[in-house]
Amino acid sequence: MPIDPSVVGRVYPPQFYEVSREKIREFAEAIGDANPAYVDTAAARGYGHDDVVAPPTFMMIIVMNGFDLLMKDLGIEFARVVHVDQRFTYARSLPVGTRVEATTRLDGVRAVAGNDLLKIRTEVRDEDDTDVCLSEATLLVRPEDFDGGDASD
Amino acid sequence: MTERVTEQLAVGDVVADHTYWITRENLIRYAGASGDFNPIHWNERVATSVGLPNVIAHGMLTMGLAGRLLTDWLGDPAAVVEYGARFARPVVVPDDDIGVAVRVAAAVTEVRDDGLVALELTVKVDDQKVLTQARALCRLPADRPAPS
Repeated sequence: MPIDPSVVGRVYPPQFYEVSREKIREFAEAIGDANPAYVDTAAARGYGHDDVVAPPTFMMIIVMNGFDLLMKDLGIEFARVVHVDQRFTYARSLPVGTRVEATTRLDGVRAVAGNDLLKIRTEVRDEDDTDVCLSEATLLVRPEDFDGGDASD
Repeated sequence: MTERVTEQLAVGDVVADHTYWITRENLIRYAGASGDFNPIHWNERVATSVGLPNVIAHGMLTMGLAGRLLTDWLGDPAAVVEYGARFARPVVVPDDDIGVAVRVAAAVTEVRDDGLVALELTVKVDDQKVLTQARALCRLPADRPAPS
């Protein structure tokens, strides 16, 4: 069953996230990134930050929390989802201790060759309600009755 | 200050290139760190049942690796002000100890008057682009040496 376009425009409750030192370290290790700005306060200060900062794509962790809400709301199992594109526009850095809220909005649904393409916009703001990052993503949702044929790109 | 650096950069300059390797272990580690436990990234049975050739890397892991090329070059991770990509082709990760090679190169597409530099990333596995429209906008630190 294709996703009903009437769900376009849905906005999900803001998801709170606090950036922790150990999560930055763990994420940087997972992408094999040895940049000292992720683990060494002095090195981060050398770049003008108060303390260690998160890698650019760390933002996905925060954005994903809203994706999870959206998929649960629309009854989409994770295994049917393929990330099609992702763009971040950063308004400021993400140092350890930053407390943010991510608000997710379903901006569009389009049926393409039996799949659904979801356009999702997430605004991440800090405690002062200042922009931290804008995330724009497209997810492809394969049909529920997929029988394992050829995957097309 | 910024002008001193950007004037040494020209459109078409390749500022960095590197080959990264992704193994199944990297996928598990990334799943844990990112919280993205989609089974298509670690379970061959599930991956093939939804029509994928095998277990594939998280698009965001590939984008994260390509982002390393930028932050290694820039030094300051926060100097990346825009970063995006399209996950055009799945990166299939074999069940061996070697993994799959992802080759990344970054080339200048625009040097702006405001000190920002636009870059296009070429991200390939076996000469096929796995990320397309992979673009970043970066603020160059004033004291960054230009590429030779």
